[in-house]
Amino acid sequence: MDIRKILFVTKFEELWFDAVESLMDLRKASFNHVVFLNVIEREKVALRRGKGYQKVEEVRLKEMANIRFINWAETLFEKGLEVGAYIVVGSLVKQVVTAAEKEEIDLIVVGYKKKGRIEQFYSSSDILEIIHRSQIPVLVYKYKPDNTIAVEKPFERPLLATGFSKMNQNVIDYLKPMGRVIKKVTIIHVGDPKSLKESSAMGVQKTRKKIRRKLDEQCDLLIAAGIDASPAVYVGTPAKEIVTAAKECNATMVITGTSSKLSLKEKLVGSTPRFLAEKTDIPTLLIPPVK
Amino acid sequence: MSKKVLVVDDDPDVRLFNVTVVEENGFTPIEASNGEEGLKLLKEEKPDLVILDVLMPRQSGIRLFRDLKTDKSLKHIPVILLSGIAKKTFLRSQKALTEFGGESVPEPEIYLEKPVEPEELSEAINTFIG
Repeated sequence: MDIRKILFVTKFEELWFDAVESLMDLRKASFNHVVFLNVIEREKVALRRGKGYQKVEEVRLKEMANIRFINWAETLFEKGLEVGAYIVVGSLVKQVVTAAEKEEIDLIVVGYKKKGRIEQFYSSSDILEIIHRSQIPVLVYKYKPDNTIAVEKPFERPLLATGFSKMNQNVIDYLKPMGRVIKKVTIIHVGDPKSLKESSAMGVQKTRKKIRRKLDEQCDLLIAAGIDASPAVYVGTPAKEIVTAAKECNATMVITGTSSKLSLKEKLVGSTPRFLAEKTDIPTLLIPPVK
Repeated sequence: MSKKVLVVDDDPDVRLFNVTVVEENGFTPIEASNGEEGLKLLKEEKPDLVILDVLMPRQSGIRLFRDLKTDKSLKHIPVILLSGIAKKTFLRSQKALTEFGGESVPEPEIYLEKPVEPEELSEAINTFIG
């Protein structure tokens, strides 16, 4: 699948223009259209006792966002990109899904800033909700504590975490058209320590070899598409091992598939994609199953 | 029958302003809220003038202007660009698109920066179809 059109969701607090600029490498593939979206939270303009709906505040917030978007759009227009913008009042998830559908978006980009526990809970569950409702890949952008961008070229050396399930198969297809953007992909599988409970070292090695062979098959698919790829096997808790692997491989991004349904357990307790969206210092690309 | 003016802008307030000016000058407005809708109406209605915004959802004014000026049956229609985007940016973007393999397009007939006074817009409209 080609990434032609990107929806860039910003509150101007956790995602800035340098994130858009870091994605310019995707132009070597087929990226040519950016749509900006700023969602003004309802509480900021809501009905207040004695004040009513704060229309003046709505206009002020919209115009502030508009001025920012005009500046950003001017830079992108001059590079020959198509640019559109939405500034709306409402709930974040609903407005993102609506804009993504209207614009036939290929990738949604959102920012994620480490916050207090309660805020963190809501923002990361919003991200998963967006994926499950839109069924469009979401790139979660990260900033360093000093607000500088985490990586210059996120698609350069991605780490692909696979569980060999169906939901991971389309991740490979998603990457295939990006041969001119990606330098190297590391595909990892994190094995369950229980599966290595063999009586002999040879038994354990056999399991590792089996996993490795499966990873090689996935690497071959990317190599056939002109993308350098290598496998790596880890053992332990998936989310934690993926974070470790990303550091060891000097990855610029973590990519993983998501399940088709958002279970209650995922919402409340969390899941590997959610952990990655929250805990990695580099961008995380979450890819839903094919519609 | 009065001449038709296609007004393309995603902001309903700006669209209302433009439509009012068009009507006060005795012309018939046709409205579109984005470039895609604008292109469809251009082909269906063949207006006498287009008042076009640049930054819009679905399809920008930059793309719509390019589509219009490279279409043999539409390229004669004059365009008033009315936008918060600077003229210099508009021209550079057209140049960039031409360099990316697109057809070269002329400059817009008139470029006005938002916000515009009603008299200024009236004058621009009457320059072409008055």
